[in-house]
Amino acid sequence: MAERRPSGINSRRPSVIPYLAGIEKPVLPSIPSQCDVLICGTGLVESILAAALAWQGSRVLHVDANPYYGDTCATLTIEQIKAWCASVNDGSSGFQGFSKAMLHIPYPHRLNSRDYGIDLSPRVLFAKSDLLSLLINSRVYRYLEFQSLSNFHTFENDTFGKMLSTKEEIFTDQSMTLASKRQLMKMMKFVLEYDLPENKEELETHMHEPFTDYVSNRFHLSSQQINELCYALGLAPKPDISTIQGLSRVRRYLVSFNIYGNFPTLYSKYGGPGEISQGFCRSAAVAGATYKLDCALKSFDPDTKTATFEDGSKVKISEKVVCSPSQAPEGSRNVPERNYEITRLITIVEKSCKEWFAEGESAALVVFPPKSLPSNNQFPVQSIIMGSGTGCCPKDQCVWYLSTIEQGERGRRDLESALKKMEESILRESEDGGFDVELTESDVAVQANGGISVINSVKLGKSFKGFVPKEKLTYLLKLMFTQYTSVAPFGVVSNAVFEKAEENDHPGNGPDLKVIYSSMPSTEISYDGVVTEARLLYSKIVGSDDDFFDVDFEDDEDYEHGPSSESAIVDDAEEFQPEMAFEL
Amino acid sequence: MSSPATNQISVKLVLLGEAAVGKSSLVLRFVSNDFEENKEPTIGAAFLTQRCTIGDKYIKFEIWDTAGQERFANLTPLYYRNAQAALVVYDITKPASFIKARHWVKELHEQASKNIIIALVGNKYDLTLDSETGEEIEGSRKVSLEEGQNLAEEENLLFFESSAKTGYNVNEMFTTIGEKIPEAIAKKDNTRDQSGGNRIDLNAPAENDIHDSSCSC
Repeated sequence: MAERRPSGINSRRPSVIPYLAGIEKPVLPSIPSQCDVLICGTGLVESILAAALAWQGSRVLHVDANPYYGDTCATLTIEQIKAWCASVNDGSSGFQGFSKAMLHIPYPHRLNSRDYGIDLSPRVLFAKSDLLSLLINSRVYRYLEFQSLSNFHTFENDTFGKMLSTKEEIFTDQSMTLASKRQLMKMMKFVLEYDLPENKEELETHMHEPFTDYVSNRFHLSSQQINELCYALGLAPKPDISTIQGLSRVRRYLVSFNIYGNFPTLYSKYGGPGEISQGFCRSAAVAGATYKLDCALKSFDPDTKTATFEDGSKVKISEKVVCSPSQAPEGSRNVPERNYEITRLITIVEKSCKEWFAEGESAALVVFPPKSLPSNNQFPVQSIIMGSGTGCCPKDQCVWYLSTIEQGERGRRDLESALKKMEESILRESEDGGFDVELTESDVAVQANGGISVINSVKLGKSFKGFVPKEKLTYLLKLMFTQYTSVAPFGVVSNAVFEKAEENDHPGNGPDLKVIYSSMPSTEISYDGVVTEARLLYSKIVGSDDDFFDVDFEDDEDYEHGPSSESAIVDDAEEFQPEMAFEL
Repeated sequence: MSSPATNQISVKLVLLGEAAVGKSSLVLRFVSNDFEENKEPTIGAAFLTQRCTIGDKYIKFEIWDTAGQERFANLTPLYYRNAQAALVVYDITKPASFIKARHWVKELHEQASKNIIIALVGNKYDLTLDSETGEEIEGSRKVSLEEGQNLAEEENLLFFESSAKTGYNVNEMFTTIGEKIPEAIAKKDNTRDQSGGNRIDLNAPAENDIHDSSCSC
């Protein structure tokens, strides 16, 4: 029976070899025959849920139909992208929730698959947000690297501008009159104070009117300033947001400033939600959850409480089954409707795009407000720019993620239109890269085109009109697809989505009776809403979310910045940051 | 923590190997030996840490276990990311574990950064010796010393036979890895741009503005 010997080492001195969570459990011939909760899909919401449940003490079996982690928000290599597109287009099970994937990789291609990490649903992390607090409380941040993102560009009247969002910037700006500076400062101040008792009446009167009308009437801001507030700072995905929505979104930006430094957002290096999902999966595994990839749910029988997988294996479940709609069993009938579309365009370009980044940074945001594009877009186009410093692509390349909630062909046209503007912009910006060397040449070229001096015409923020690029931008990869979600733009996931499967009690009705579905990544390009959804699912299983990640982690001996410094990042969104007050 | 952080080098070390070959025991032997009274590792810690001084270098090992994720799933890319060292462990009394070790070495060459330092470790040396006489028990060893050495030579790995139980070669393997580290850091992996290094420590808000310049990341 030598094989059965449990390492054989601790017989004499057991105290030297204490138990360590997660290390070296005995080999199991197959997946456990019993668990409390089965979770299908390793997307971010499901991974946070798995970790929260595992730390609370539930026996979690977490599976994914794919051979990789991340599911609907995976970070993929080029080879994985190719396979993903093929699966989306042939409608294989495991890829419900996406459609019409179009991939173009020009030949001969020079892409080394593993040098890339392409996010299916990229996001940016506000410095003051619930996910950030959770990353710290759960210690998951220690598996990851975060970098800052400061530049939020707005495209308007054929130019790119950067919003003046700090007091210093507003004061030193040369283009604004003193009166409009005062108005902008007043507006910023109100954003931070709108929920104070003295503003209650003001807020109640106006909260449901359109945000753009309110700021225009009350603060007399220019339409360009309003666009910047609404679509850049607020990252609004649609035009008709209410005053209260607008105020809360602009505030989200302002209070995130100066938490870690002079920037509002961060991103995780090497990949966004896909990378953070892996962090939470590891956390869940350390707490005892079992992981299995390449494992698709075939059916769940609520009477016997047995889940069956495609490979024929079975597991008894004492609590619940949670499933991503993308991994619903074939023939399922209870998947919540996914009425909202996100159209995405992802490109890899052969340019560093450093002109768009703030100094020392590797990423930026560009937003195109409604009606700013030649395609006469009704909805904004949002784009996240990830340079090689993000670890997502090799040197001198850049990944552009464009998205809009405009539907169907219109959405695709808007994205192509925005892409063209970005191409024009970066070609123009980067032509001054060889400024010293090519001065005479570019001087002639540009002056011939309307007599504008070269120094002014290449500056970021000037019009492209009449600009003829000398070179073409090389696209190394272009991917367009549509994603569906049940989360309304701006909406937070509602409990009703999860109730649907619960209420349905016609026995024998589909292989997914009583399965709780998550809701696919939302249209939001920040991480907002992700923790809320995980908490809602957690309460559905545990009964309440009082003990959600309520874990007393012993700190490492070298835990330099103890919990006391954490108090600066309060997860209470209502917490007011006094140092952010804009005073006149 | 009296030592200055100025010349401290953080080293991410990942553990690989079949279950029950003694991965955790090796680490715990290494970590506990140098610890004072409290032998309990931090439950729920993201990873185990152990500091040691090698020559004039002050090295902090961040030791990642697989947390069982390798059983039915691949390890996450996150696991291999920026690992500077790996222990691939097998049990010299179990040939199957040696075959598995070859698999992990291959996996490391594919997934991990090019300059990772890999140590191949044949563990449970104590099981081959008679505890009374100290002589080798005939037939107890199933993987010969030469087999291990050959694999290590082929793949350019460090090689040790060890016993977590007696402590044989445990400190030696970590020390040897530690000695090798700075060279590896100097020759950084170039496949992905490592610049843009504005890494933000999420646990150090701006008010404190503690930027640990000694962080090797």
